[in-house]
Amino acid sequence: MIPATMLTNALLVGAVLFCLGLVGILTRRNLIVMFLSAELMLQGVSVTLVAWSRYHGDWGGQILVVFVLTVAACEAAVALVFVLQAFARTGRLDASAWQALREENLPRVIDQELPADDRVVPTWPHLSPAGVLPEGDDSRSLERDHV
Amino acid sequence: MDPVSTATATPSGLLLAGSVAALAASLWLLLPKASDTVASRRLGYLLGAVALVGFAATGRSLGCVGEDAVFLTVAGIAVISGLATIVTRSPVYSAIWFAMTLAGVSGVLLVLGAQFLGVATIVVYAGAILVMFLFVLMLAQPSGMAPYDRVSNEPMLAAAAGAVLLGLLTLSIGRLSAAEPPSCCRMPSRAQAVAAAAPADGAAAKDDGSTTLIAPATAGGDTGDANEVAHLGAELFGRHLFAVEVAGVLLLVALVGAIAVVSRGEATETDHRRDSR
Repeated sequence: MIPATMLTNALLVGAVLFCLGLVGILTRRNLIVMFLSAELMLQGVSVTLVAWSRYHGDWGGQILVVFVLTVAACEAAVALVFVLQAFARTGRLDASAWQALREENLPRVIDQELPADDRVVPTWPHLSPAGVLPEGDDSRSLERDHV
Repeated sequence: MDPVSTATATPSGLLLAGSVAALAASLWLLLPKASDTVASRRLGYLLGAVALVGFAATGRSLGCVGEDAVFLTVAGIAVISGLATIVTRSPVYSAIWFAMTLAGVSGVLLVLGAQFLGVATIVVYAGAILVMFLFVLMLAQPSGMAPYDRVSNEPMLAAAAGAVLLGLLTLSIGRLSAAEPPSCCRMPSRAQAVAAAAPADGAAAKDDGSTTLIAPATAGGDTGDANEVAHLGAELFGRHLFAVEVAGVLLLVALVGAIAVVSRGEATETDHRRDSR
């Protein structure tokens, strides 16, 4: 069992993670990042459940977290399939690509012009070549200049 | 309520309101927007640090933040990486930060004494689920960050809502610990009963009451002992056996469903006949 101070510590951490995940799922437009935010909320709930379980010396909370893990795995598999299907139709991982499905009285999301990307292009590590260079198509580079 | 908590209500209330405002401003500055500059992002990081310290101080004044250095470290890793997960523009970096959050959460679970779940979080989440996300990201966005990763929907409203919700949750957690005064130096009543029933080996210096901070790890016998995983397994496959079976069926259904949705399937005889008609 854990003392009450540890319980409230852990409850605070769980609350912070839950709220951050909430903000993320409300604001971000990338479907994958929205999904990561939902998982962040699940993590907050898991911390809270385990804290109460250890405080009361009862296994129920930890058992529930085991099932949360199971359901999260199922949910990730099914949801990623749907995300891939949505991507195959629109070519974008953008939630606003589906805004034709919004409520009638809601305004349309209009993409404004973005300023130029101000990030520094990273310098990737240079590996000394080894072996024979395979014959390839030079026009299609496999390297990405940013992630 | 007792007079002590009413007397401390005003400064901690001010502190809490300040932390909520700082967190909302920091989230608004950090979330991806078209008008982002390097300076505004730096201000956002600064305000985020202020909000973090403010929330810790609020929790402390409400009597609910302890001084366990290991716990504070892993909790700090979890919270800071969680913030980075939602504000990073590149989704790949977002996923990596989420892995860091999982490491922090796993540390928190280990400090709490849930060994199996701490390990399972790393193995199942970081090892399987997160890698699946990265696969999809690499498949769907091979060119990297897209324009829609650099804007977000209603960042101001969402940041305010999240910060206010966190403030309310902090208040209610503080009330929870204020309900059992003095909260810092007390153990749950069940643990006290166990400690009282146990032989007096651990109760040698009980006169000042401060030794009760250390929970009798072996006295309870239910959680937190060396056979934690064995006990969890016995509980899982004993009392909750039916739920385990249901979870297995759920996994199977998810598997079949995912395959059924993703595979278009070969056109069958009937399809050909219908098409040619």
